Amino acid sequence: MSDTAVAVQHDEHAAHDDHHHGPQGLLKYIWSTDHKVIAMQYLFTGIFMAVIGGFMAYVFRMQLAFPGISVPGFGQVSPGEYNALVTNHGTIMIFWVAMPVLIAAFGNYLIPLMIGADDMVFPRINRLSYQIFLISALVLLSSLFVQGGGFGGAWTAYPPLSSVAEYNQTQLGSSLWLIAVALEFVAFLLGGINFITTLMNSRAPGMRAYDIPLVAWMIVIASILFMLSVGPLIAGAVMLLFDQTLNTGFYDPARGGDPILWQHLFWFFGHPEVYVVLLPAIGITIDIIATFSRKKVFGYKMMLYTAVATGVLSFFVWAHHQFVAGIDPRMANVFTVTTLLISVPIAELLFVIIATLYGGSIRLTTPMLWALAFMAEFLIGGVTGIFLGASGADIYFHDTYFVLAHFHYTFFPIAIIGSFAAFTYWFPKMFGKMMDERLGKIHFWGTVIPFNFIFIPLFVLGMGGQHRRIYNYQHFPDLASAEMYNLREIATYALLAMIAFQFVFFFNCIKSWMSGKAAGKNPWQSNTLEWTTESPPPHGNWPVDEMPNVYRGPYEYAHPDREEDYWPQNEPS
Amino acid sequence: MSEENQKQGDDGQHDDGHHVNYAKIYVTLLILFAISVMGPFVGEMTGIKLITLITAFGIAFVKANLVIQNFMHLRWEKKLMKWMLMSSLVVVALFVAGVAPDVYNHEGDNWDNLAAKAAVERGIAGGEHDVEEDHAEEEPAAEVATAGFNAASSYAMICASCHGAAGAGDGAAGALLDPPPANFTDPTFWSTRDDARIKTAIRDGGASVGVSPLMAPWGALYDDEQLDAMVEYVKSFNPGGE
Amino acid sequence: MKPIATTRSATGVPTGRLAVWWLLASEVVIFGGLLGSYLMMRLGHPEWADAAMHTNTWIGATNTFVLLTSSFTAVLAHQAAEKGDGKKAAGLLVLTIGGALTFLAIKSFEWYTEISHGYTITANNFWSFYYTAAGLHALHVIAGAIIMGFIAWDAFRGKELQRVELIGIYWHFVDVVWIFLFPLLYIAK
Repeated sequence: MSDTAVAVQHDEHAAHDDHHHGPQGLLKYIWSTDHKVIAMQYLFTGIFMAVIGGFMAYVFRMQLAFPGISVPGFGQVSPGEYNALVTNHGTIMIFWVAMPVLIAAFGNYLIPLMIGADDMVFPRINRLSYQIFLISALVLLSSLFVQGGGFGGAWTAYPPLSSVAEYNQTQLGSSLWLIAVALEFVAFLLGGINFITTLMNSRAPGMRAYDIPLVAWMIVIASILFMLSVGPLIAGAVMLLFDQTLNTGFYDPARGGDPILWQHLFWFFGHPEVYVVLLPAIGITIDIIATFSRKKVFGYKMMLYTAVATGVLSFFVWAHHQFVAGIDPRMANVFTVTTLLISVPIAELLFVIIATLYGGSIRLTTPMLWALAFMAEFLIGGVTGIFLGASGADIYFHDTYFVLAHFHYTFFPIAIIGSFAAFTYWFPKMFGKMMDERLGKIHFWGTVIPFNFIFIPLFVLGMGGQHRRIYNYQHFPDLASAEMYNLREIATYALLAMIAFQFVFFFNCIKSWMSGKAAGKNPWQSNTLEWTTESPPPHGNWPVDEMPNVYRGPYEYAHPDREEDYWPQNEPS
Repeated sequence: MSEENQKQGDDGQHDDGHHVNYAKIYVTLLILFAISVMGPFVGEMTGIKLITLITAFGIAFVKANLVIQNFMHLRWEKKLMKWMLMSSLVVVALFVAGVAPDVYNHEGDNWDNLAAKAAVERGIAGGEHDVEEDHAEEEPAAEVATAGFNAASSYAMICASCHGAAGAGDGAAGALLDPPPANFTDPTFWSTRDDARIKTAIRDGGASVGVSPLMAPWGALYDDEQLDAMVEYVKSFNPGGE
Repeated sequence: MKPIATTRSATGVPTGRLAVWWLLASEVVIFGGLLGSYLMMRLGHPEWADAAMHTNTWIGATNTFVLLTSSFTAVLAHQAAEKGDGKKAAGLLVLTIGGALTFLAIKSFEWYTEISHGYTITANNFWSFYYTAAGLHALHVIAGAIIMGFIAWDAFRGKELQRVELIGIYWHFVDVVWIFLFPLLYIAK
């Protein structure tokens, strides 16, 4: 049986009690505190929500390219439904796909393994955080089916649209949406405490701070960033909830409230949030690239410190989302400078990745392809951000599809490419089988090429003045030209192609899981500790008296003194 | 074996063998607390507002510091914890610094926050009260121009949560009340009410006119002319006209 | 039953305590955001002084005294736990919980009085902030008291004494938040 976290009975009974017995059977999935099981739960919930978010994108892209069409599988799209679709697409993809997969799933799975621990420091709180997360997902999904429908005020939920039911027409949906987001925050705060404490304290003997694989560091730095930035938004969300349900006036100008306050509260979190998801994706990328270049990371400490610098700087740029919202123009000057500055450390991270590749012995496996694609696509996204960060240019670009294409060129590499990179790389460890390389490559090209055909047209449309959040451009003669509709159709067809290729991925998963080649402990010949145990690892990760000690850093590839081109961390010299 | 290398963390013993006298800290806290409560009185007597601010907030910082250093043992904690807390505080300060120009100020180089300024003026014109201990009844301001007062927005702010934005008694906060809030759009309601009764109900509360005490007395917020304006506004919901 | 991971301590700080400090770091930002927003709006709206005048300084002061004292009993409980005296620690924790309940009772009375005078959460934005801030604080008091109950129960039976210190640290934080709420809502009129 190739179940995920198998509770293998150990023959040798160590001083450590019943730790190696987990719950059995189906109940395992409710009661297990094993970090690997919890990771799988986050992963599958995230994948499920991604399918829903993707379906929403399919529906609204069909409406945009073919206005008034009865979308197969959905029906005709009313304006209110359109708004709810785009709002929930964004909300789901960020909070219920990117964060759970990149941080919660891979963080949970990898961190204890990579530092040589048998589980997270607080397994029961870990389980609790998944349960809260699951409830938050259910609350969000329920918001789509209540009277009035799902919330349609954009994922940014600016008041008074989001606070006054008369305006948004979705009284119940708005509050459920807000509560779902709040619960998700609580789940990630709890999870974050677990990750940070585990990484800081529970390392294997001999493992110094600089021996920790970068992906583990990145996930923890991201958790700290999340924890420090979400506070004001939680306060703001409580205030918004009261405005919605109790008719308070926190954001009502007529009563002395201030809608701009919400914008600040939201974006003070919203900007660091994008780095919260970016850093783990970069961590995943660099680990994969090191393994498949057979080379040390060009600058481990540089990457680490740059990531911290990026995190710190990310607190100073938030109002670039509000350049035309009526903020104090003097602040706009400040935020332009800081926004342009933050491109420097991120560029540095990309340079380190490139330098790591240079001179390496490249193995173009499927995970490696995904990692390389991440860099290329994210680069485009990052560069287009420069235009938007300059407040002058932003006056034109704000709220156009240029912005949308920019953030999809950053988010898609982070959330989707990054997730596929991690999934294909660690699949052998998680499920004990190798994925089919040929199917993997077909899926890869079938995702990345259409991706560009979706969003490059949207850049062009944005530059042409197409505004966001409009459900039917036929109402705007300037935007309803034949050329513009051609571009919209190209984008939509590309999306359909991309969706079609995802079936290859699911087929590959199932086929590999059932009949893939056995993976063995270390199919990629990597150095980090997770590859020193069984695939999949047993409950407790290693036999109690064989917990690893660490003797060197995680990227000792192609060491001159060795015959092998890799040198696992736990091998004594 | 890996067990040997595991460091056992600090078990709660303070390894530098000190023991601060918690009782002394507690008494210090109480003394500081007493000063902070007395502060505003001294500040008023002398007319120096700064005294109130220093005693109130300055002492708050000192007290908080005492609690954090001694009760939470931050004094003897690894430096890392201090860095963590400092980062949190810096983040909060950064937030306030970045947002204050928009939310605290009501004007900048080229802009005015008209809505906020209007709210401030309305609030100040709406009634100035002497600073005194709280009481149910207060002297309403002697002379207030009703021009500065807007019955509709006052209704929206205070009455609508129970009586509904359109006066139909269907406000969210009133949904669970029994008896339910009055429905001003119901003609039968008006058949047994006159202006004087409505005015009394607003000013002195529901109990004063023989209905539910859940209708609070709002007399402290309005002077006589404003009460009349409120009565007129409430009457405007009557579908049958005057 | 605990994983080996829980017992390791590469930083020298036991994992439980490290986690509580991280929890506090996140709570500081939450309350900081709320109180910072309140402060900015209050400074920008001098007309709120009207409403602010009606908070009852004496009740607020009494509650401050109650919380300070409960912090004192909490740290004494820690002292007892350090010495291994689980029963004494449990007793002192119960006193602390008593402080929490007293605080909540006084607050309920205070709010009931204010609401029946018409100072509801929708009366005016000052009151909205007042109830939201004090309410969020009260939620933390309730949560803390409940967890403290479980820890006291364990301590009484001599188990998990290290957790007495941890709930104490959390409790002192709740006290510190109130130390700032008191002047903000009651004194600085």
